[in-house]
Amino acid sequence: MSFLDLDETLVDVLSKVQLTVSPITDFKDYDFPEVDVGIVEGGIGNTEHKEIAEKLRKHCRILVAWGDCAVFGGINTLRNGLSKDEVLRYGFIETESTVNGVMPIHAELPALLDKVLPLHEVVPVDVFLPGCPPAPEVIAYGLTEILEGRLPVLPADMIHFD
Amino acid sequence: MEPKSKVNLTIDGKEVTAEEGMTILEAAQQTGIHIPTLCHHPALSSWGGCRMCVVAVEGVPRLVASCAMPVRSGMVVVTHNEKIVESRRTVLEFIFAERNHNCMFCPKSGDCELQQLAYDLQMDHLTVSQAFASFPVDVTNEYMGIDHNRCILCGRCVRACAELAGNHVLAFQNRGPRALVGLDLNETLAASSCAGCGICLQVCPTGAIFNRHRTHYAVKGHAKEWHSIDSHCPLCGLLCPTQAVVANNVLLKVEGRLLDAGQRPDRGQLCAKGRFEVLRDPADRLRLPFVRTASGQWQEASWENALDEVAAKMNFLRDTHGGQALFGIISARVSNEVLLSFRDLLIKGWSAETLDTFDGAHYRAVLAMSQEIGNHFREAAWQQLPEADFVIICGTDLCHHQPLLMSLLRRSVLENNTRVAIVGPTDSRNALAGFNLPATNDDLPAVIDGIWEAAVQSANATLNPSGKAKRARRMTTKPSGKVHPRKGRGQDVSREIPAEMVRQFLAAKQPLVIAGEALLAGQTAHGLSSLAKLAQLKSQDSQGRLLILKSNGNSAGAWKLGIAAQKSVGGRERLQGGIVVLEGEAATGTAAWTDRADLDFLAVISPYVTPHLRAKAHVLIPRPSWLEEAGTYTAMDGHEAARVEKVLQAPAGIRDTWQTLLALAERAGFHPPAKTLEALTRKVEAELNPGPEVRHQQNSATEGREIHD
Repeated sequence: MSFLDLDETLVDVLSKVQLTVSPITDFKDYDFPEVDVGIVEGGIGNTEHKEIAEKLRKHCRILVAWGDCAVFGGINTLRNGLSKDEVLRYGFIETESTVNGVMPIHAELPALLDKVLPLHEVVPVDVFLPGCPPAPEVIAYGLTEILEGRLPVLPADMIHFD
Repeated sequence: MEPKSKVNLTIDGKEVTAEEGMTILEAAQQTGIHIPTLCHHPALSSWGGCRMCVVAVEGVPRLVASCAMPVRSGMVVVTHNEKIVESRRTVLEFIFAERNHNCMFCPKSGDCELQQLAYDLQMDHLTVSQAFASFPVDVTNEYMGIDHNRCILCGRCVRACAELAGNHVLAFQNRGPRALVGLDLNETLAASSCAGCGICLQVCPTGAIFNRHRTHYAVKGHAKEWHSIDSHCPLCGLLCPTQAVVANNVLLKVEGRLLDAGQRPDRGQLCAKGRFEVLRDPADRLRLPFVRTASGQWQEASWENALDEVAAKMNFLRDTHGGQALFGIISARVSNEVLLSFRDLLIKGWSAETLDTFDGAHYRAVLAMSQEIGNHFREAAWQQLPEADFVIICGTDLCHHQPLLMSLLRRSVLENNTRVAIVGPTDSRNALAGFNLPATNDDLPAVIDGIWEAAVQSANATLNPSGKAKRARRMTTKPSGKVHPRKGRGQDVSREIPAEMVRQFLAAKQPLVIAGEALLAGQTAHGLSSLAKLAQLKSQDSQGRLLILKSNGNSAGAWKLGIAAQKSVGGRERLQGGIVVLEGEAATGTAAWTDRADLDFLAVISPYVTPHLRAKAHVLIPRPSWLEEAGTYTAMDGHEAARVEKVLQAPAGIRDTWQTLLALAERAGFHPPAKTLEALTRKVEAELNPGPEVRHQQNSATEGREIHD
């Protein structure tokens, strides 16, 4: 949503980029083409996240951690004080609204990692755009810098963690 | 005091002259050079714990903490270079990594010193792994909570609790990464000896100690919409300097002016009442004037119609029955300007013979005491408390009624070895008293008489060393002939008065006697005279030795302006109409006036409306609460006054109380000369400070500075 808040800057940005893979394209396999820029939002909390992050890292030149969850781990890290088992049991069995709950543990389902981690603790990251969500001007600044061939470093008055 | 010698040094290439004993940080700040700090707070002692303020000093191999390093002549200091910034950022990252400093779900985000430092140092991610440890959260206090997950162990709260509040509740417990700020011996906020003053909250640089009434008000840059207003708290008569922070007409926080407290011995603290209770959502607001119709129904009225109705009824009663049928009763929590307008309206406008405050009986108790001891009673100033070397507290639970005085007392006991005697009700926190003489309110006067007699005997014995009393280790006294034990009790209430207590009191150089509310209530009021006489034994100099705690924030102002009646009124007379001005009093405190069966007419001017008022009044006129109108208030001891600013806007359309009273005065045929708030303030000052010299500059009315008697 914050991305859409870019307003007319979004048109400028889109005229200069080609979106190859995104959640909108509903990819199921991760056959990434070689790209210039990869953007990850969200902390790395399960094996699927980790796999995507690692594949993306291999196929992009510049990797961007987008938002507080990717940069710091964010609100998902609230579970880091608990064991995986406690988290799943609480979420899928013990909640008041759950009847006959089942733990989502299956070979075909991604498994939780021990802890939710920020992206850069899993793969090397080139650009950090914190914010929850990142403010439109932060996004615009970050993307514009990259398009102009620089690695963006946010000035102090643009950094926000909320 | 001798001027401190000057020290010349260089900071960032600038020649700086500082005073000896200053730290590098202070020298830099006075020159306008910014050094980031975290554990440092200018109102507290230096700790040097966080290393954010490190600077390079030529010739010193390691970076030094500028908050703890005194200046030295010839020092060459650098506050910013790559190495220094790298060191600060590393420290900051470790702090962030240690606990949960995820801003997006922190109630303090946007108003957080830790977060601001991260922004300033462009910390866009952490290069060290987070610890993800879990710590407890304490929400057992109604107003504030402690989230140890957000604590950076800077120790500001620990120092503030000890150095400012004198309470020593907070201390570090556990070690290493499990260290946390604990209360007493691992207690919760509610179960500990915490007085709830919130000084720890005010100095906490993160969201570790947070305000439960106002959270998440600063997120996403909303702090930019805040504005702050310097004012004073009028709630108890100590007139503590406050800074109120407001956004969109919501009071977000009230802080003590720690850096702007002047010579005040409390150094700018606030108590829980002034800091937290004011944040509570107010009771049912009265937003429009209402008039009761002939059929008894309430009907909305225009301001003009409501004022006309009040004036018509009161004018009629005055003209048919005379002023003896009319009364005006006003809260002693309103400003001097409101009190004075009310007094002039009632006396000059309606010739009312009955004018009083709700706490008028307390005034009469003090008056009776003053007459009994011969009318040269001079009240002590509350600011004498920190210098006092022996304090007798009578008939009050100071923790509850005057938390700030309690804080001063705790500090003087710890720092100056002040001796304390508590007579009357006590609670566990009064354990600091060297002498405890528990007494019920009924027994109180007899016990005070006992102390006084013992003191007189002891003083005489000291003057005549041959007397036996000098050798007596314990002295038993009976109440003097003047004391009449209450009917029905019959038994002798004499007690043993510790001779050592009397001796220490008489030997004290600066004793102070504090009289609480129990001595102002009718039945036990004669205890006040004995207490005043006791205090007089030690009042050879011009300084008063007796401090009387007042029941309301501006009782002293109301008494000095002659609002409180000198003789008890309203019991027997046939009253027919009256007007009552309230400031949030409970119905139990006002019923004696509002529930009179003989009234043909009752007008109520109040910020709030209760079912009780709806049942009793004939006209209801809204007024702003004290936060919503400016005015001056007189300190509890009557020695000074301060201006309380308008902090919030009253609900739309509500007029300032003085304007309402002015409009009524004009309808009553009295045209007050003061037609602006400033003119009223000048009139108040002239009445409270009569004298040939002009004591105050005209602009004092608008600048909010303290007015000293």
